[in-house]
Amino acid sequence: MSDAEDTAGAGGTGSLGRSVRRKEDRRLVTGHGRFVSDLQLPRMRHVAFVRSPMGHARITGVDTAAAVDAGYRVFTGADFAGVVLRARSALPSYVETDQPVLAWGKVRFAGEPVAAVVAGDRYRAEDACELVEVDYDPLPATVCAWAAPQVPVHAAAPDNVLLERRFEAGSVEAAFAAAAVVVERELVTNRHAGNPMECRAGVALWDAAERKLTFWSGTQVPHIVRNMLAELLDLPEGNVRVIAPDVGGGFGVKAVLYPEDVALCLIARGMPGVPVKWVEDRVEHLAAATHARDHRYLISAGFASDGALLGVQADVSCNVGAYSVYPWTAGIEPLMAGGLLSGPYRLDNYRCTVRGVATNTAPSGPYRGVARPASVFAMETVLDAAARELGLSGVDIRRRNLIRPQDIPYTMPSRLVDDSGHYGACLDAALEALGYEQWRAEQARRRAEGGAPIGIGFAVYNELTGLGRAASAGPRMPFRTGHDACTVRVNPDGKVTVFSGVTSQGQGLETTVAQIVADGLGVGYDEVEVRIGDTDTSLWGFGAFSSRQAVIGGGAAHRSAVAVRDKVLALAAGLLEAAVEDLRIEGGQIRVVGEPTPRLSVAEVARVAYLESNRLPAGIEPGLEATQFYDPVRGAFAAGAQAAAVEVDRTTGELRILSYVCVEDAGRVMHPQIVDGQIAGSIAQGIGGALYEHLVYDEDGNLSTGTLLDYLMPTSAEIPELTIGHLARPAANPLGVRGVGEGGTLGPNAVLAGALGDALGVAVDTLPITPATVWSLMRGQEAGS
Amino acid sequence: MKCAPFEYVRAGSVAEAVTVLRDTDGEGKILAGGQSLVPILALRMARPAVLVDVNRIPDLDGVARNDGSVRIGALTRHSALVAQTEHPLLAEAARWIGHAAIRTRGTAGGSIAHADPAAELPAVAVGCGATVHVAGPAGERSVPATELFVGALMTGLGEDEMITGLDLPVPARWGFAEFARRHGDFALVTAVVAEIEGEIRVTVGGAAPVPVRASRAEAVLAAGGPAAEAGRAAAEDLRPTGDLHGSADYRRAIAGEMVRRALAQAGVGTGAN
Repeated sequence: MSDAEDTAGAGGTGSLGRSVRRKEDRRLVTGHGRFVSDLQLPRMRHVAFVRSPMGHARITGVDTAAAVDAGYRVFTGADFAGVVLRARSALPSYVETDQPVLAWGKVRFAGEPVAAVVAGDRYRAEDACELVEVDYDPLPATVCAWAAPQVPVHAAAPDNVLLERRFEAGSVEAAFAAAAVVVERELVTNRHAGNPMECRAGVALWDAAERKLTFWSGTQVPHIVRNMLAELLDLPEGNVRVIAPDVGGGFGVKAVLYPEDVALCLIARGMPGVPVKWVEDRVEHLAAATHARDHRYLISAGFASDGALLGVQADVSCNVGAYSVYPWTAGIEPLMAGGLLSGPYRLDNYRCTVRGVATNTAPSGPYRGVARPASVFAMETVLDAAARELGLSGVDIRRRNLIRPQDIPYTMPSRLVDDSGHYGACLDAALEALGYEQWRAEQARRRAEGGAPIGIGFAVYNELTGLGRAASAGPRMPFRTGHDACTVRVNPDGKVTVFSGVTSQGQGLETTVAQIVADGLGVGYDEVEVRIGDTDTSLWGFGAFSSRQAVIGGGAAHRSAVAVRDKVLALAAGLLEAAVEDLRIEGGQIRVVGEPTPRLSVAEVARVAYLESNRLPAGIEPGLEATQFYDPVRGAFAAGAQAAAVEVDRTTGELRILSYVCVEDAGRVMHPQIVDGQIAGSIAQGIGGALYEHLVYDEDGNLSTGTLLDYLMPTSAEIPELTIGHLARPAANPLGVRGVGEGGTLGPNAVLAGALGDALGVAVDTLPITPATVWSLMRGQEAGS
Repeated sequence: MKCAPFEYVRAGSVAEAVTVLRDTDGEGKILAGGQSLVPILALRMARPAVLVDVNRIPDLDGVARNDGSVRIGALTRHSALVAQTEHPLLAEAARWIGHAAIRTRGTAGGSIAHADPAAELPAVAVGCGATVHVAGPAGERSVPATELFVGALMTGLGEDEMITGLDLPVPARWGFAEFARRHGDFALVTAVVAEIEGEIRVTVGGAAPVPVRASRAEAVLAAGGPAAEAGRAAAEDLRPTGDLHGSADYRRAIAGEMVRRALAQAGVGTGAN
């Protein structure tokens, strides 16, 4: 259902716009992937961490004697007390706090590393952990961000609030005074985890003679990690090499520099020449990798009688866990929630207070969709509630308020500038693909004749992608993540090697960058090889987060390829004694416009550039390479709409998804299969969050859902067939692309809660939607009627 | 998540296995399919001194018809239970065990011995009135399934005993219904209906520490009552505990519904009998 005429890149001879075979798949699907866990090095030792069994406690003693006597190296908090992770931000209300590498003094969440042991293998390392005795003096734990704090998590923040910010535009009071209806809701979203298939992993090696640190890490952000490690370990940045080999999923969880990472590097420095390896297991991952989405929204929205949205007031509390996540800060979720709560809807009067509240739970961090699966749920919920009160349909109230193409550029009440405006088109396409009218008819038929109730739900959202320097990094951190670099090198044989700053956790960036370079330079896709993930070979890239790489890393690849093409053409023009503007490169061959046969190949030009300098035209330097940065300055909004029809089993509360549709405007679709894969995967993760995944702490701060037996990840059996459509309106950047990595996660909470409300007339105020909660809602309804 | 040290013994016969178990003074554990034991070992929630691997013991697997029942060897994999046609209820129930990889490794004897209250096979064993065959240093004995399960994850097996097989009566009519959060999960509730020697037996798993007969539901049916009423009676009989996946009330309601569905599948209490 793509608008064919809008699909830039379709047709022609280039590789963009086609689902070319992915470069990485030969090794990934034949078992030849190279993940950190696959790394075997001479003399390698294994690390395991002793972790706090308490949510909040003073450490009164750490006795390592038994482990040391048994021959193990043991490191404790005191050994690394000189290094702390301190996520910095210039926001006025932000309270800076320290995260220790290994806890000392006190522990702030169950699972926090307290000591590290080194052994010949992981089994023995875990044996050694049992020999380390830690004495704790328990403190009352706070696990809920909107409950009264017990003992403060950090002395610097007695109320546990690490950050608070108010967004304000227009007058909410005046808007509500003029409103025909003001709906008010308290909404709570469920804490969950990214849970990539590969957990975290690292190998650190210190070369004492060269004073060089090499850190293999399953990170999404190797250059950021290099920068931070150099600073934390007081090393010249050039002496730190970070290598992210194949990585099995990240979803934001691996965009964080963790205490375990730093501990590994510090241990390595204490054991010169000995590579030390740590591969996180699933229990550690659930307990100590970053969590997300644990929010409460107190939201009111005023509407005119025709459904026009007049004002929104909200108070948003985000549980940021025990530490301000490094380096993104405790602002990552609250600021995103406040900045994008109004989503794709026109709104003049807005007041939103957001706060990040520390608790005795694992730190919250970036997770695919950052805050918006929750904020979209909040916004769509008040729209549905108002529609019901005003007697409008869910479709009408959305159409009435969506940002339209003629509103672009639209300055949102949070002052973000929306460049999309194609929300209505996405919604219309989604409704058509769903068969909206047929489902409404079936719903009416069942209501009249009996049968399992059916409901239809919607979500429309805007996904801020590819953030440039002006839009990036709300928390005002000491760095701006607006740019990436790329080096395109034509080798003497005419083949192309690309050193890109992008990273891949499975999303196929080697392929996408190769496509961009092949088309930008004018050579075949098969002639291009892409190297990523090694800070010693690529100049610079901030890495994978915020759906940024296709836009920014892709933009840098395009600019570099074009720069090389310009030099190829200049060189060819000199060799052919032709004018540059008369030359074209296609498929690695250089033609003079109007001539049927090529005059020269890129390979011949490359040979001259490197090996036959005697033939170089005057004024042209040897070599055939270019390195360019790209920064889009602003971002590219990606519009999306999702809709679903669901059926409810009245006896069990089970919700069955009958049809699920997503239409996104991803701009120019560079590789349809990868784009659809991103959307399908993110919707699956969204459905997991809406229906299954829930990290639960008890009052003492123990994680009750500590294994995958209780933390329910959706499997392929739980995910319905998805219908995915594209609008493909090119964005204003060199490739016309918008990010697609996260948008899919934004819809399912709102879609499924809305569909349930539509089916049963119940109000879904808490997530996830489990059969038990649906059953309770139905019972409450029976009791009330 | 790596297990604590243990000794490993590969037993060549039942006699050898029980001898090794006896000699470990209660510190031994049988390794069959390992689908429950290995995760527990990895979490260090179990720390046996000796693992006795029974996988290579000959003649301990297979399903064979024996008059009104089937004989199931302890080492029979769940996948073989699915594939066999002698006991359709067993085949249906086994389809609900975990995922393909789990069914390929997991064994009938292991599932019975592990005695997870939410597992399918213990409910089927109680539901059909199975007899479990047990070997120990003193020889063999047979235990009715209804007496074998004494609590959640607890059986009357001695520390030096192992299950060698079970006899499972084949029901004339049967029904099986299960409710789980996801495909392949342990059940929130399992209901087994089996007509054995003219008697309708209704058994509920997952709603008590052991699979339980729903005697009031059976009484309703014996009096000619409908399936829906039997379901309600079953629910009222149960005193389940609530957990993360549902309250006690919810479990009770689901149990009633699963009983109703299992009865419907069996064609019992539909007014047609």
